[in-house]
Amino acid sequence: MGTINSALSIMSGALDADQEALNIISNNVANANTTGYTEEVPNWQENSSVTINGVSYGQGVTETGATSVRDKVLTERLDQQQQLASASGSRLTALDTLQALFTPASSTSASGDIGTDITSFYDSFSKLEAEPTSSSYRQAVLSAASTLAADISGAASSLASQKSSLDQEAAGVTSQVNALTTSIAQLNQQIMTTSPDSDAGTLEDQRQADITALSKLVGINQITTENNGLSITTTSGALLVSEGQSFQMTNGTESGETHFYVGTTDITSGLTTGGGELGGYLTARDTDITGALSSLDQLAYGISTSVNALNNTGIDADGKTGTAASPLYIFNEPTAETGSAENMSVVMTDPNEIAAASSTEGTGGSSNATAMYDLAKSTSAELNGQTPSDYYSSFVSALGSTVSEVESENTAQTASVTQLQTQIDSLSGVNLNDEAAAMTSLERSYQAASKVFTMLDSIMASALNLGEQTTVS
Amino acid sequence: MACWGMELGSGPAGARGAIALQEPGERWKHPLLITLVTEASRSLACLDAERLEELALSCQALNRDLARADGETRAALAAESREATSDMAVLARVLEATRANLNVMNRLRELRGGRLEYGAQQAPEWPPMESGHGNN
Repeated sequence: MGTINSALSIMSGALDADQEALNIISNNVANANTTGYTEEVPNWQENSSVTINGVSYGQGVTETGATSVRDKVLTERLDQQQQLASASGSRLTALDTLQALFTPASSTSASGDIGTDITSFYDSFSKLEAEPTSSSYRQAVLSAASTLAADISGAASSLASQKSSLDQEAAGVTSQVNALTTSIAQLNQQIMTTSPDSDAGTLEDQRQADITALSKLVGINQITTENNGLSITTTSGALLVSEGQSFQMTNGTESGETHFYVGTTDITSGLTTGGGELGGYLTARDTDITGALSSLDQLAYGISTSVNALNNTGIDADGKTGTAASPLYIFNEPTAETGSAENMSVVMTDPNEIAAASSTEGTGGSSNATAMYDLAKSTSAELNGQTPSDYYSSFVSALGSTVSEVESENTAQTASVTQLQTQIDSLSGVNLNDEAAAMTSLERSYQAASKVFTMLDSIMASALNLGEQTTVS
Repeated sequence: MACWGMELGSGPAGARGAIALQEPGERWKHPLLITLVTEASRSLACLDAERLEELALSCQALNRDLARADGETRAALAAESREATSDMAVLARVLEATRANLNVMNRLRELRGGRLEYGAQQAPEWPPMESGHGNN
């Protein structure tokens, strides 16, 4: 039932996220009744009264700007959803590339199948254990070690390349953001000068188009100001546009990674969580790829240090044992976990240096080979209490879950954008009947889909608990 | 407007009308769960209320038929359920996004209604009756 529960847990997580977005919208709706905001939203226009036989019949008022309010709020909601969809879209693209590195069936990279490599490497000690003096088995151990090291190192290099590539793509967004914020500031200036109290028509359309384009790139908040002006901040609050003035975003390199600034303030972390393409690139760069690299480092460190330690204490085919000055290491001994994967390599060139015998045996012994073979089944603190194979499987599985999760997010967000666009298209007129029909369609769809979901969930839950009630009451 | 996710239902299993294939007298078989789920997500994204209502009926029929399903069918359904789990997560998310959109739309409708009522209280800003605006 864990899987169904996961789906529901995801649902509740999504609810929280949507609630946050909704709160922002709610604020806008609430602000619509405030004096400052009414200049931007529908106002009331007095109709001419009719006087018949000396008695005037007032025609009341006509709402002239309701479309404007509605469009503004809906468009802002659409922009928010677009930011999320863009972020998950660019992150998903990066994750797909990342996952391909660890998917042997479809992999065209040099990283191969690390899971199989791990098994083959430890299995090679099993054969050596049976015939510790066999040169071919000794060579087979080194060969399996080389394949494992090359694949882990290759995967780490590919991750570093992908990270660098994402870094460049992220940096490239800066100029696009600056062009848009400059344009928005100029449009703001024109709108505030020419139409401080009314809709500025085409100019507002242009400004909205720029804001939508900006939303796809970075997560932003919009703040309506007096005289039809607008300020824009990143979701973390860095000011990008203040009415007629824009603040340029710059980038620079820190510790080999591109960081983003407004003025002298580093806004990278806020941009990462803020949404838009840039948010997606940065999340992939700083979370997904960095996490994958760290896991590979941990794996390489765990395997290298444990195998080296055992080999160093045994006796090789020539009767030697490892010393501080001349250690008997199979792998390049890592000095720290970071960088272990990329630097993983086989340093042993002579197969006779494989210490198959323990220190209490002669050169024909095989206890140490057995111990090294047993490492495949041993859990270790370096690998979070898992065996090397299990650790790698968990890593690949977690990566797959992340991809699946982001895929779901992206699908739902894209669906939401589609729905909103449909609503906006339906509400292009001020006709109340059209609006009611659009709302009815939305409500009917939601109710029917809720019913479908509830029934499917119950059917699936029952099916997964065979023997219990299967039909839904 | 081209609707999102058309590809979800574009395959043979997901094609519109592919659900409810059972012929009279044929051994009971139900539509693939994954087909129902992906079709529901696609239809919801497109706000295709009619299709969703059809799917709800399909689910009711599926649930009813399961009461007389044999062990083999139930086992097959369990396997399908596991396969469809990630698509259910997608449907859950689309449903939540729809709920949020619906809330926004409802609040806008309330806002609009409230403004109409609120407008009457703004009478002091209106010109007084018989103020010369009439066409006597």
